[in-house]
Amino acid sequence: MNPSLTDASADEPNGTRVHALDHLRALAMLAGVLFHAALAYSPLLHPWWPAADRQHAPLIDALVWLPHLVRMPLFFLVAGYFSASLLQRRGMSGLARQRVRRILLPFLVAWPLVHLSVAMATGWAAEATLYPSPLLQMVREWMAMPDAQAPPPGTGHLWFLHYLLLFGVLHWVGRVLELGGLLQRWLALGMPWVALSLPLLLWPGFALTSAPHPAPEGLLPQFWAIGVYGPFYALGVALFGRLESLDSLRRWLLPATFACLLAYALFLRALGVVLVPGNASWDVAALQALIAGWATLACLVFGLRALAQPRAWLRYLAASAYWTYLMHLPLLFAIQYLLMDLNWPWPAKFAFAVSATLVLCVVSYEILVRRTPLRRWVG
Amino acid sequence: MNQVLNLPLIRLLVIKDWQLFQKQLAAYVLAGIVALALLGLARPWAFYLGSLLLIIVLVAGSCFSISNSLLVERKEQTLAFVMSLPLSPLDFTLAKLAGNLLTFGVPFGLLLLGTLVVVLTTPLPDGLVVYSLLIYGHILLAYSVSLMVAMQVESEGWNTFAMIASNLLVNPLIMLLGQIDAISIPARADAIVWSLPAVLILSAQVLLSLAALGFTAWWHGRKPAFY
Repeated sequence: MNPSLTDASADEPNGTRVHALDHLRALAMLAGVLFHAALAYSPLLHPWWPAADRQHAPLIDALVWLPHLVRMPLFFLVAGYFSASLLQRRGMSGLARQRVRRILLPFLVAWPLVHLSVAMATGWAAEATLYPSPLLQMVREWMAMPDAQAPPPGTGHLWFLHYLLLFGVLHWVGRVLELGGLLQRWLALGMPWVALSLPLLLWPGFALTSAPHPAPEGLLPQFWAIGVYGPFYALGVALFGRLESLDSLRRWLLPATFACLLAYALFLRALGVVLVPGNASWDVAALQALIAGWATLACLVFGLRALAQPRAWLRYLAASAYWTYLMHLPLLFAIQYLLMDLNWPWPAKFAFAVSATLVLCVVSYEILVRRTPLRRWVG
Repeated sequence: MNQVLNLPLIRLLVIKDWQLFQKQLAAYVLAGIVALALLGLARPWAFYLGSLLLIIVLVAGSCFSISNSLLVERKEQTLAFVMSLPLSPLDFTLAKLAGNLLTFGVPFGLLLLGTLVVVLTTPLPDGLVVYSLLIYGHILLAYSVSLMVAMQVESEGWNTFAMIASNLLVNPLIMLLGQIDAISIPARADAIVWSLPAVLILSAQVLLSLAALGFTAWWHGRKPAFY
């Protein structure tokens, strides 16, 4: 059995394994490591990112926001598909038990550990670095205050586990209230209509938050995150057993890619060079909805063809992706804090930070997870 | 009491109540998520709307739980069928109590947890924890009294009265809490203060709830026959 985040083999109802979905999910999580590493050199996030380096490059901002709009939607779409697969094989109680074992327990264990390690690394960096980021400077001033109030607790980069649990509950709600018919009717319109309507569904969600959208790290469910990621999860559920319906989108792939690139250029132009607080305007939200909807579908269609064959390295990547994603941020921050004072060019810092983080994650996976009982939870 | 309980059948009856309640429960969970998301917006209008929705969900949940498992079954004369099962009156009473406590307790517990998370993790003053617990305490008491009445009294009118009256009393309770300085002033501060009046009110709510449930179990447990 291939261990995966949802512990569901990505099977079609006829038992055929869909390797492409395992691979896509692993690549989406890996893209998250690259994305978080790149933010240290983003001019736009320079005032807000704790590991922001004194060197930054506009090229980063030109590149990172596109995968940002795709990777988590793709992840939730695949998660929805796997949930539907698991539901068919083990029923709702089986799905609930699996969610507790594979998501709730790892979340409850990893959350305080990740929070503590990030806080310790950040506290050290705020005191010790010669060239701290603006946020680290704020942390330094905050630490010097005698009656400093602790910031409200958040889920950090583990927010995706929180939302997987929430969507699991909403999945049960939808099933009990027999809302599946709505999904079937949506899909019955045909995939081109689904592709056209998907950005419309996402639009309000993107308009309820800032652009580029932040991570929904709060402990409470946030409407915008449900509105943005929920439709992808639901689409994943609806696509279970119907992946072949995506074939009708193949001809549409090339024009959609061009449309996404054009929308992305307009989005970057609207974004400017300074992050504007407050909700995105409706036109910027529309651009994000279009990019997220179509680029995610394009990745899915492309991935189902290009990643369909089992490959050893992708299989290994898929198996270690959950652990890697859980562990990467504290390690990445610690490494990037150490790199802050060095005079290396930013591409060298970026490459080193990514490589070192991935090596540490893979080595720890080999030692702590792959051949140990932990594999059952986070393998 | 040397009666042997038919635990497998009690379990089945509890599962039956749970399954019959699932649709309402799903709707309450959905409304509860919306209410918590509203509270999480941390804006005055959203806080008001979210709190109101939470109270509506809690009250509706408690009333539906009792209505579904006791009043509707009584109207549909399900008891005649239950009497054909190898069950004693005590088994039946325990199944009804457990089923009700489960269908009410799960959403109640989840929403209570959610409310505490809201208060403790948003800019809302932490002192609201005590205030919220007192309101939840009242909902628990109203539910226990309504359940006691539903199990004791067959009249639908009296049952409806008990449910509406006990739950509506949350309004005077909120006003009363606002009048007690030892509760209302700390509720606006960022520290959790357990004043004597707050402890007394919460203790009374919990003890009276337990007493109502205990009395019901005891009263029905000693009945030799279903009628």
